[in-house]
Amino acid sequence: MALKHATPMLDELEKGPWPSFVSDVKRLAAKGNLMCEDWLGLMELSFKEKEGHWKHGGIVGVFGYGGGVIGRYCDRPDLFPNVAHFHTMRVNQPASKYYNSDVLRKICDLWDAKGSGLTNMHGSTGDIVLLGTTTDQLEPIFYELTHDLKMDLGGSGSNLRSPEGCLGMSRCEWACINTQDIIYDLTQEFQDALHRPMFPYKFKFKSSGCPMDCVAAIARADCSIIGTWRDDIRIDQEAVKGYVGGEIVPHGGAGGPRKDFDIKAEVIDLCPTKCMAFDGKTLKIENSDCVRCMHCIRVMPRALRPGVDTGATILLGAKAPILEGAQLSSVVIPFIKMESPYTEFKEFVEKLWDYWMENGKNRERLGELIQRQGLRELLKAVELEPDPRMVNTPRYNPYIFYDPEKVPGGWEHDATEYRKRHQA
Amino acid sequence: MNEEAKDKIIEYVKQQKKSKLYFNDLCKAVPEIKMMQAKKVVNELISEGKLKYWSSGSTTMYMLPSEGDVAKEEEGMN
Amino acid sequence: MAFDPNNVMQDRITDIGPPSYDKFFPPIIKENFGKWKYHEILEPGVLMHVAESGAALYSVRVGSARLISTEYIREVCAIADKFCDGHMRWTTRNNIEFLVSDKAKLAPLLSDLRGRGSWFPIGGTGNSITNIVHTQGWAHCHTPAIDASGVVKAVMDELFDYFGSHKLPAQVRIALACCLNMCGAVHCSDISILGVHRKPPFVENERVQNVCEIPLVIAACPTAAIKPKKFGERKSVEINNSRCMFCGNCYTMCPALPLADAEGDGIALWVGGKVSNVKSAPMFSKLAVPYIPNEPPRWPTTVQTIKTIVEAYAAGGRRYERVGEWINRIGWERFFEKTGLEFAHEHIDDYRLAMTTWRTTTQFKF
Repeated sequence: MALKHATPMLDELEKGPWPSFVSDVKRLAAKGNLMCEDWLGLMELSFKEKEGHWKHGGIVGVFGYGGGVIGRYCDRPDLFPNVAHFHTMRVNQPASKYYNSDVLRKICDLWDAKGSGLTNMHGSTGDIVLLGTTTDQLEPIFYELTHDLKMDLGGSGSNLRSPEGCLGMSRCEWACINTQDIIYDLTQEFQDALHRPMFPYKFKFKSSGCPMDCVAAIARADCSIIGTWRDDIRIDQEAVKGYVGGEIVPHGGAGGPRKDFDIKAEVIDLCPTKCMAFDGKTLKIENSDCVRCMHCIRVMPRALRPGVDTGATILLGAKAPILEGAQLSSVVIPFIKMESPYTEFKEFVEKLWDYWMENGKNRERLGELIQRQGLRELLKAVELEPDPRMVNTPRYNPYIFYDPEKVPGGWEHDATEYRKRHQA
Repeated sequence: MNEEAKDKIIEYVKQQKKSKLYFNDLCKAVPEIKMMQAKKVVNELISEGKLKYWSSGSTTMYMLPSEGDVAKEEEGMN
Repeated sequence: MAFDPNNVMQDRITDIGPPSYDKFFPPIIKENFGKWKYHEILEPGVLMHVAESGAALYSVRVGSARLISTEYIREVCAIADKFCDGHMRWTTRNNIEFLVSDKAKLAPLLSDLRGRGSWFPIGGTGNSITNIVHTQGWAHCHTPAIDASGVVKAVMDELFDYFGSHKLPAQVRIALACCLNMCGAVHCSDISILGVHRKPPFVENERVQNVCEIPLVIAACPTAAIKPKKFGERKSVEINNSRCMFCGNCYTMCPALPLADAEGDGIALWVGGKVSNVKSAPMFSKLAVPYIPNEPPRWPTTVQTIKTIVEAYAAGGRRYERVGEWINRIGWERFFEKTGLEFAHEHIDDYRLAMTTWRTTTQFKF
């Protein structure tokens, strides 16, 4: 069946070995999906003109929620009436995205009936993104989502955004914390912040189970929760010999089925703190010098494992560049035990949000507020003591804002006494 | 006390020249209460239909239900 | 009770949050949660995780387009039903993982996937170039400078061989954001593809008063570049172009300030970022190419430039060395030499903290 709009440019993207979104959307359009037909036509126009054709429309949503729906209108409804309204719904994903076919088919049924049939699995933050529906369908979709699928919308706008974690203990031997439970617990605890905006801008939690940080928490989350340990790396000396003897494939096979493993060149010499030694028989680690970078562990996963006194490092303030430039998160809590129900952590979060809400300007991310007011103000607000682990180096400018409370007599001078000592 | 705060916020919104306000603009109407408390008051105003949300996708603002919206006006023009 | 459009508050359910993370776990994961011992990549795209109990889970990773239809998802479900008792998961980088606990099902699963044309490429593990994380582009965004899905498809077609192999010095993470708001946060990737606008918005003076609220437009600009201005009898705004940073926030508030422009918009490429703490600390991506024109449908210049960078890295990087670690070892002067990329004024930072990026030593290479 010929589609409504010719798409010679898009058709070029049906070639090549990588899965083609064009072929995919075309097969849905060929089944009589009018939204997909017009969406293809609109994309072809964008490809031809090298300009997008969507307008923003910010009033749409489901009643009582301030997030989860992004309003979108096409600027050529004359040509593509079936995508004149094409709103996005964000559906909060189960942490780390395990599904069964039953629930996904239900989502498909819902979206075929009430939306365009186009999705993103998943959006950058983690949500299931349902692309393209009309305003009148929002409430029916929300009803079905909550009643039949037992799912809820995700965050958008000045909300807590849908938190996400790595797959953690579900399938990884390196997870130092239960990332999935932490994410699920925080998502449930802070539902109101997720659906009803109150912050100066967006706020993201992300949790990775170890310093390899597979969900990019340190680069993308206002509050990064990264698993770590503070005791010794566990060593299986027999397995070390297995690697050295070429019996076990190094790096878990990530570099292919190699037999030429060189423990000195590949592990000992690459340790960033040079805290390891191997005498041909025994591997020794000076754990007090270890910075837990995970390199040796990932290269010899059957010989080395993280310690057992595990917890998390909490870092704050990561964000993309707008406005003050990109930031990575900075350490504020070097180590915290993260055990359900995470009471100590939640108390920290409440203090953090109070500080940000009271002091943040509109559209100022937490990281920018900290940059503007200084880490000291943040630490005071959340009642944390300074620690050398919070900095790469102490300051090298002399402009110290001394605290008058720590100076005898504060900032007051005795002018009379001064002039007794010094003539004017 | 919530009822009084609600009235103050609605009055404040009506007095503004712009139709959409940020959350901390709304808080200026009730400086005597904490922001977390103000949040609860604003939630009630939303659920009573006395305020509504407007979202740019990345940030959210509040407006009176009677106010129009750019997108709606544009739709009318098409 | 069915939905009643005249009474949306009836039986309303709110704030239930997402399903619990373990609701859709396969039994082997429920049984061995927190008790995994080690893993091994058996071949590109095939992971084996072994638990303390001795149980083994096989995960087959396949690339997907991220922008996918319900048709595609139904096919994924059919595969999961056939081999995995209906279980699967998605990764952070838009890959799908089919999970089997019975090794006998692994080979049939792989052969089934390979028999479905190009829909389910197997790979994305270890020292590969895995799937590209990306944003919406022309598919669904209102301020994009480029398309996303089209560029990603063209780039992955060219780098396809690296997806299904382990021949690079380390993993290479590519990300794409279609404007510098970076919904896709591409600031810490080995290679970042960033859509850039180069022309500030223009003001449709006849329309502004009708469709925009001027105080809100002014407040929307993060650099305070917008001021009110009368246009005859009509209220309008003027933009201080030299302060514009091309974020599109004003266009969000006011459709009479369009900024998309076929000739102005295009792609900047960035290199050397990383997120993981392995060996070296996380790093930002740095500018490699300030501008490449938009070239739909297959963006050949962008694709070839990325390939050049990947090949220079593949040739020069040492084992375990990420792109940024390779560049730090050889120096940026060598990076531009080896890739043949031009170094221009745009590469020298002139924003805040720019000085921290200038060379303050006599140590460099001729």
